[in-house]
Amino acid sequence: MGIKKFINSVKELLGLDEFENTGKKKSVKRLLKKLKARKDILNKVPKKKLSKKEKKELKEELAIITLQIKKGEKILNELNSQNTKNSKK
Amino acid sequence: MLRKIFLPSILIVLAYGFWISPDFKEISAGVAIFLFGMLSLEEGFKAFSGGTLEKILQKSTDKLYKSIGFGFVTTAIMQSSSLVSVLTISFIGAGLIGLTQGIGIIFGANIGTTTGAWLMAGFGLKVKISAYAMPMLVFGVILIFQKAKSLKGIGYILTGLGFLFLGIHYMKDGFEAFKDSIDMASFAVDGFKGLMIFIGIGVLATVVMQSSHATIVLILAALSVNQITYENALALTIGANIGTTITAVIGSLSSNIDGKRLAGAHFIFNVVTATIAVLLMSQMIVSVDAISDFLGIANDNHTLKLAVFDSLFKIMGVLIFIPFVDKLVHFLQRTIKPGKKKDGEEFEGVKYLNDSVLELPTTAISALTNETKHLYENAFEIITHGLNLKRENIISTMPLKDVVKHPHSENAIDIDNFYNHRIKGIYGDIIDFSTKAQSEMTPEDIEKLYKIKLANRDIVEAVKDTKHLQKNLIKYDKNPNKHIKEQYDNIKIGLAELLRNIDLVSKMTEEDEIILLLSKAKVHMQKYDILANGTLDNLIRHDLITNEMATSLMNDSTYAYDISKNFIAMAEVIFIDSSGDIKNIGEDMVISDEDVDLILEEKDE
Repeated sequence: MGIKKFINSVKELLGLDEFENTGKKKSVKRLLKKLKARKDILNKVPKKKLSKKEKKELKEELAIITLQIKKGEKILNELNSQNTKNSKK
Repeated sequence: MLRKIFLPSILIVLAYGFWISPDFKEISAGVAIFLFGMLSLEEGFKAFSGGTLEKILQKSTDKLYKSIGFGFVTTAIMQSSSLVSVLTISFIGAGLIGLTQGIGIIFGANIGTTTGAWLMAGFGLKVKISAYAMPMLVFGVILIFQKAKSLKGIGYILTGLGFLFLGIHYMKDGFEAFKDSIDMASFAVDGFKGLMIFIGIGVLATVVMQSSHATIVLILAALSVNQITYENALALTIGANIGTTITAVIGSLSSNIDGKRLAGAHFIFNVVTATIAVLLMSQMIVSVDAISDFLGIANDNHTLKLAVFDSLFKIMGVLIFIPFVDKLVHFLQRTIKPGKKKDGEEFEGVKYLNDSVLELPTTAISALTNETKHLYENAFEIITHGLNLKRENIISTMPLKDVVKHPHSENAIDIDNFYNHRIKGIYGDIIDFSTKAQSEMTPEDIEKLYKIKLANRDIVEAVKDTKHLQKNLIKYDKNPNKHIKEQYDNIKIGLAELLRNIDLVSKMTEEDEIILLLSKAKVHMQKYDILANGTLDNLIRHDLITNEMATSLMNDSTYAYDISKNFIAMAEVIFIDSSGDIKNIGEDMVISDEDVDLILEEKDE
């Protein structure tokens, strides 16, 4: 057994790759939670009371948050599918 | 001059000693092998000190007692206070820890060195440790030849321990044989005079060997065969502790100001403790006897009693100094100051980059990140003043429209002069340091380093673009054409908003806010695309500005766009990459140009 193969089998045995993914997953989940909470707050802002400029700013912030949530969910799905692949191996 | 004479003199004395006494040769060889073992051990531990080091350090040095514990444990494991001192200077230099924590680590390291005396007195002199040395050396050397960094590290540690054991064996054998030919104990001097002479010998021996650990092992070896008296051994131990500070002072010469202050703390601590020990010598001997009795150490077991003395002496020093750590820090900050600069006359230098932080890739990268932040702060000020805005207004909550109404000064600042004094030198040193640092780095570290270099280039480009922009900002600031003035005010407002957002990002810890602010900055950057958004077209078609104004506006909008682009790119590297959770996912969450288009479309709907 070559040294690389040995290291890979040890990594697999100890689940070190998954460990790295788990850390990343936790970070994404935490960020998503915060972004969703912020989106909820923004959605509750009474739009009628806002000026035209403020409405525009609110719309922009919501568009950015929505996009970031989508991005975060995509990363989370990718990490989940990676973990499933690793466990099937 | 002295240094030129010192080395040949030592070599001549040693050569003469080897010629007249084979036993002296054996003792010296033992010391040399022991020191080589320490070097090897240091090399081995360095292989393991990257990566998570930063986290461990931050968690284990946030309180003084933790710093002391950290210093004690690391020195006990590595058996080298000099390695711990060098690494501590390196951590301070890189800005990973402060001076107070550094002093705590040094206190702990001082107590940690006593474990060496205990091991030697309790184990090394009674067991034939050379029997362990041989297999360690064989396994160690085999592992050193392996490619994997961790295996190499283990190899160096094993070889280091092997050489330490072998060195102790030779020292012990040498002194035993020496006893038959010369009785050194007959040279023993009693009383205060003897105390001072042997303290002096201890200092000298440690300065020559550059290790108090080696001196104490040598003292124990000589004491175990009664070549020196117990009282003289105590004095030599005190001397060794003073001598070791000279090694630290020499080591700090290449360090930054805090490294020098740390060496100062080390020196004050050891000299004051030694003075107290000399003054209270008889009381300390009585205390050592009492503690030895309590621990069941025989009255004539002088080697173990010396270990008790060493521990008592160092623990006493730390206990005396703990209440005064803050005062010590203030004193050092007052007395050891950086070289003074005359405003605007001298070139500003780097704050964090020095040879001491090159010890580890982690400290080198951390120092480079901090230095880039330093460069960013200078650039922030130059750009702010280049736009003729006040820094304090930008970082406040003042409405941006009001920020542009309060100019920084009546006259335009000379950006070239500022660039030469506060950017160019630092940038050059960062690039030079990066080249030096990368020779010891892994490909992953080199990638991080490359990103930092790019961030620095972005900062420099942003300053240069501000210089180009400044010319027309001044020209059109008081122009009677209100349309062109409005356009240039908009550029100023946009850049003020960018600077405010980047400043907020640099101070924030909430990752969702950081991501949101940087995304907003990217979206707002698009307003400088005056060709695409029809602003320029509108102004020309309605004859609101001249052709010359239109050309200037087009060029200057590009400069404003580039300044924003460069500053955002820099912030993504310097502030996202070093901030908690998003460090893991930063790159994936940064929005692309396509994302910006999507947001703009949604916004316009």
